[in-house]
Amino acid sequence: MSANPDNQKSWMGTRLPRKEDLRLITGQGKYVADIVLPGMLHAVFVRSDYAHARLVSVDVSAALEAPGVVAVITGEEMKTQCRSLRQPVLLPNLPAKYPTYYGLAVDKVKFHGDPVAMVIARDKYQAVDAAELVVVDYEELPVVLDPEAALAPDSPRVHEEEADNLMFEMTFTGGATDEDRAKNAAEVERIFQSADVVVKERFRVHRTGTTPMETRGVLADWSASDGLTVYNTTQRPHIDRLAFADILDIPAEKVRVIAPRDMGGGFGLKAPFYRESVVVAYACRKLGRPVRWIESRYESLMNIGQERGQINTLEVAASKEGKLLALRNRGIADVGTGQIGVYWGFVMPFLGAVEMPNAYTWEAGDTDLRVIFTNKACLTPSRAFGHFPTRFAVERAVDIVARKIGMEPSDLRRRNLVPRLPYTSVTGEYYDSGDFLKVWDNLMSQVDLPGFRREQAEARAQGKYLGIGFGCGVELSGVASELMVPMENQPGYGAATVRIDPRGKVFIMGGDAPGGQGHETTISQIVAATFGISPEDTIITTGDTGTTPFGSGTIGARMGSYFASAVRKACDELREKMTHVLAHDLGIRATMEEFAFTDGEIVYQRDPSKRKGFREIAERIVMFPINLPEGEVGGLETTAFFEAAKPMICFNADACVVEVELATGQFKVLRWLTSEDVGNVINPMIVDGQMHGAIVQGLSNAIFEEFIYNDQGQQMTADFEHYKLATAADMPDIKVTYASTPCPHTPLGTRGIGEGRPSAVPGALCNALVDALVPFGIEITELPIRPSVLWQKLKAAGAV
Amino acid sequence: MKTIRVTINRERYEETVPERMLLVDFIREKCGLTGTHVACTYEGVCGACTVQLDGEAIKSCMMLAVQADGHAVTTVEGLASGTELTPLQQAFKAHHGLQCGFCTPGILMNMSEFLEKNPDPTDEEIRHGLVGNLCRCTGYVHIVDAVRAAAAQMRRGG
Repeated sequence: MSANPDNQKSWMGTRLPRKEDLRLITGQGKYVADIVLPGMLHAVFVRSDYAHARLVSVDVSAALEAPGVVAVITGEEMKTQCRSLRQPVLLPNLPAKYPTYYGLAVDKVKFHGDPVAMVIARDKYQAVDAAELVVVDYEELPVVLDPEAALAPDSPRVHEEEADNLMFEMTFTGGATDEDRAKNAAEVERIFQSADVVVKERFRVHRTGTTPMETRGVLADWSASDGLTVYNTTQRPHIDRLAFADILDIPAEKVRVIAPRDMGGGFGLKAPFYRESVVVAYACRKLGRPVRWIESRYESLMNIGQERGQINTLEVAASKEGKLLALRNRGIADVGTGQIGVYWGFVMPFLGAVEMPNAYTWEAGDTDLRVIFTNKACLTPSRAFGHFPTRFAVERAVDIVARKIGMEPSDLRRRNLVPRLPYTSVTGEYYDSGDFLKVWDNLMSQVDLPGFRREQAEARAQGKYLGIGFGCGVELSGVASELMVPMENQPGYGAATVRIDPRGKVFIMGGDAPGGQGHETTISQIVAATFGISPEDTIITTGDTGTTPFGSGTIGARMGSYFASAVRKACDELREKMTHVLAHDLGIRATMEEFAFTDGEIVYQRDPSKRKGFREIAERIVMFPINLPEGEVGGLETTAFFEAAKPMICFNADACVVEVELATGQFKVLRWLTSEDVGNVINPMIVDGQMHGAIVQGLSNAIFEEFIYNDQGQQMTADFEHYKLATAADMPDIKVTYASTPCPHTPLGTRGIGEGRPSAVPGALCNALVDALVPFGIEITELPIRPSVLWQKLKAAGAV
Repeated sequence: MKTIRVTINRERYEETVPERMLLVDFIREKCGLTGTHVACTYEGVCGACTVQLDGEAIKSCMMLAVQADGHAVTTVEGLASGTELTPLQQAFKAHHGLQCGFCTPGILMNMSEFLEKNPDPTDEEIRHGLVGNLCRCTGYVHIVDAVRAAAAQMRRGG
């Protein structure tokens, strides 16, 4: 037991500085690019210059002659030596057209950046030089870029083996049969016919994403006896392990995947199984030497991280008293090539459509989605998975309705929030628990809306335009198996192994793979609180398939929901065993509940003189397993699995204040205020940080970032000069407040948080801008929203 | 190839390197100091590779190793003396100024120079001082908190 002055207190809810930080602020972090193995070779990809072209020939002879080059791999070799990425372990259980594709392009390139060859050299500069010597002969094909035009019968096809470019379509309301859906659509139409107010807008959201600061990296190592070890920047090492085994035809027990303990952010981008990983692993096995690929930023922005990209034509029917009645949406997602393992680009818009109704009590809905192939990089998961665009549409539409009937948008929202949980939305999403009204009222209690309206009017009189905007969001707290199995063909449960060593130190092993969320600290707080020890006495290992139980990954806010709950459950199993043995040793009959774990001791509460050190009892059970209670054996280690009976959610509400300068359209976010239901909080400092980061990602996506393709399908924004991320000077201070309801379905009352959090941002921001410019009656229905766009609108409205 | 002499964190290195080798690669690969990171396409935008050259914060992807010949470089590994963290490092830990930590070394190197020049900055000045460093996790809020707290601590002589 290390000395800790604070070990009196419960560690739950404490702003404990992070265990991760010391190594990271002293340059001792070990990210994938910092790992070097003896004899390691460096890989560089040759990528397509065209969005759509036939591969006539790939001549690697000059590259093979270049200094330092060891091998060059082409698509033909990948096709003959490995299986495609269309493997069952990577396929969702949803009906879609799943393209067959390999580690490298075969026959055709289908987007600008499609990998054509991989050059391997002893030095990375040599690999870059040699890659330029690979001569690829292309025969250009007509490009498919506009998702709506791509549905025309005479459109060129991205995947020629498919009948058309329609990858996936689904209706999310009305039931399972065509007859039921037709009946539902008729009922919705009836509501629209008789509604006082109907709003219809086409909401377009551009391609943008969450772009972690660390790019992807793969380091593969091969041993004839042990098989394949891959250090991979991945959020889901256990899925990767099965995928490597199936694609490379290696028995799965001979594959170990290690997500480095330090990963430079993920945000969903590191959740898919990527084709580049296959080529690196294949080359490593072929050459019998370690091979490493570190993705360049240029490659990253060209190939992955492009999400959002939807058009939602949304209609809302409401009464003149401000009751939202029905929504009807026709969604279109521009998926690109659809070539990305696990997600195939369409799983995000699928979930975005499911989450569209948000926190409102719609009486009926008629919503559908079509996902369409184009010659662009495949959509990649990004935090606010799929529902950044659908939430933008709904949050904007709600404001438009409010203004039409002359109601404060905040009043209209409150009036339509789901008043009691549990609740099932019109798209069938289950909201388990919480109190939306409490969260909303907490937000409004800090806003002083009448005061703001006075300030706004006074400012306007002086030519200064201030606006206030609101938004809210129901977000997933972990992803339950009932959603994960259909969506991603994998389980949702959390799993944790907890081991106590003879010195009373607690080792926790989890199969997920965090990238900066502070799992080491958060888990240490749970374990310390449960065992009455110090967080310093815990050691957390994640991301290594060789030492951790199966986990579906650090995705969908699984930490506070599933992983944390599994850890607590495992700790409780060990507490049971420790108290069982202790009661036996003390010669008393007592249950676990009669003992307190506190200050490094286990104390019999009816007679506190009966106590033993946590370390002593651990040592006794692990090292001296004699005279045990009947039926008990030595050792202190267990693996627990946690799955709630139903899917779980968290909830947030936002308010922001903006100022717009009429003459230029320049605007600034002056204040951002939130109200959160995150359940019981383990570490408020970490939760605050998650919210700050998510909100700024949302703002940066909405204002600055945009992946642009030209009319030839060339990716024009593949560097940080053109794909601009928000800087500190662009962003406001953010005040995060809490109005939590403990989750009744997790052992600690915690909720998983942070993943979906950016989605409420674009609606709230644009609502504020529109509010500022009410005198000119402008509307915002497209993102990104930039000063130039606002200025055009102001000009059209005669304001300038 | 050229032989250069560079002092990094008070340790002298004499190495023969290709003229085209970037300073960041020299630091990371030749000297094994991997706290300095790369997050953009060597275009000087992300700031993760920021080090100090003779006390001035620079982006080590924008310089060749041969240009550092005869100069003294400080990297994030050289900030703390032994186990004694600087007030800025301490503040980043105390205020949760980092999440994934990938951008953090560059921010520390930039802000430690910034605070020497501006020991009592406003939040606005801190935010403008940070524009050369991109962070994707924190939304910058806790970074600004940490820099402000470090400045106060340093003014108190800590």
